[in-house]
Amino acid sequence: MITVSGLTKQYGARTVVDDVSFTLAPGTVTGFLGPNGAGKTTTMRMITGLVPATSGSALVDGCRYASLPNPGAVLGTLLDASAVHPGRTGRRHLRLLADTIGVAPARVDEVLELVGLTSAARRRIGGYSLGMRQRLGIAGALLADPQVLMFDEPANGLDPEGIRWMRDLLRGHAARGGTVLLSSHLLGEVEHTVDRLLVIGAGRIVADGSVAELLGSDGTVVRAVDRAGLARSLEAAGFSVRSGDDGALLVSGTDPSQVGAVAAAGGHALIDLRPVERGLEDLFFQLTEASS
Amino acid sequence: MTDTLTRSPARARVRSSGAALPALAGLEMRKSLSTRSGKSLAVASVVLAPVATALAATTADAIGSAAGPIGAMGMFTALVLLSLGVVSTAGEWSHRTVQTTFLLVPQRGRVLAAKAVAVAALGAMFAAVSAALSAGVLAVALQGLSWDAAPRALAVVVAAGAVFAVIGAGVGAALGNTPAALTSLYLVLLAVMPVLATFEPEIASKVNPSEAVMNLSQGHLTTTSVLILSGWVLVTLAAGAVMTRRRPVQ
Repeated sequence: MITVSGLTKQYGARTVVDDVSFTLAPGTVTGFLGPNGAGKTTTMRMITGLVPATSGSALVDGCRYASLPNPGAVLGTLLDASAVHPGRTGRRHLRLLADTIGVAPARVDEVLELVGLTSAARRRIGGYSLGMRQRLGIAGALLADPQVLMFDEPANGLDPEGIRWMRDLLRGHAARGGTVLLSSHLLGEVEHTVDRLLVIGAGRIVADGSVAELLGSDGTVVRAVDRAGLARSLEAAGFSVRSGDDGALLVSGTDPSQVGAVAAAGGHALIDLRPVERGLEDLFFQLTEASS
Repeated sequence: MTDTLTRSPARARVRSSGAALPALAGLEMRKSLSTRSGKSLAVASVVLAPVATALAATTADAIGSAAGPIGAMGMFTALVLLSLGVVSTAGEWSHRTVQTTFLLVPQRGRVLAAKAVAVAALGAMFAAVSAALSAGVLAVALQGLSWDAAPRALAVVVAAGAVFAVIGAGVGAALGNTPAALTSLYLVLLAVMPVLATFEPEIASKVNPSEAVMNLSQGHLTTTSVLILSGWVLVTLAAGAVMTRRRPVQ
């Protein structure tokens, strides 16, 4: 539903988005992940034509965004939740959007209900919290019930309950065959929501794969009552063992079942046994070092 | 559970094509009047001229024709409507709502055209109401006025309301910043033009839109005045269109 090819944006000599390509398939939620300033927002703005691309192309449903007859009916976008007039009420704001897209006024009340803003609908947006503005932005994107949703940092300002609500919303959308792209600079906000991660750093896509592939196990963390004894047994079994935090042992290149087997054979009582989880930061450093 | 929580059971019914220009213009009119600043400007544009007319009528010496005060007060209204035009375009950039506007209607030229039509209609409407009220005040307050040239003056005031609102929209779109657009427009019309009229009256009479409105309302220099006002509309709208197309939405 979204095909991006060689998308590049230069401001003078500075390249902020560098040859970005990806295709988003229906039925998936893709997380667009990267630190602030990595080029996520600029890429999304180029997809919607708000910022002209220096080179490359972006197609939504096979068309340039600006060529879609009624783009709001195809792609529901939330880019900047604070880009709303503070003097309008939430309901008035959505009514104007609904009339521009051409959906019935009754749909406004439906989406307000959907995002939990019914009781605040007649208040001015100027009095809304950031989380409420995010919900209002999501409501606007959902008005036409479009096939594709593209949200930039939607979790900003949402509380944990809100993040969970958004996860259900986006997973539900993908489960019905919709396509979702959401950006974040925090893995924790999106890792349980997305099927696929597109990692962007310094304007380039540095990784593209499933969460498990990219952030999966790279070894095992184990704690035992007899720490030194377990370390000796593991080394004797040919594993490389390092000391971790809080008396843990880090066994690289293994999964927990192999470490558990060694511990059982040696009669070691274990307190903790789990895969090492790589953080997004680690991944970034690793990927950007590899690409430079 | 997710389904029932997050979606209506039936897909929302949506128009397959984009909104037609008259519909977009109607939406822009609603947008302009949906904020406090828009409503205040609308009220000010309607009320200021009749109030000023009432105040002037109490101290007026002999006024022969109603056309003079109607034209002058109409110019007052037009200057307020200039702001209505500025807010409709530059206000969107200042509040960054232009992002949503262009996401739903990516053809920026169409958006500007709709805004120009919308503020022209609003400008004409408010100027008409205001001028009618001013004429009413004159009729009540002053006896023995000549109303012969009044219909012409009223028509010119209505047109001036539309023209000045469109000029405001054009300059607002060109600068993309409400304070900058308002400051530069009022500076040019209220400071530069009078200074020019004092030192270079020949040039001023060829470029001053306020003077063109006053002349038209009294039936003088009709062709020149129409050309001056058309020039202002064309140049400001063209500048607005070029800048609107070029400016990235950050």
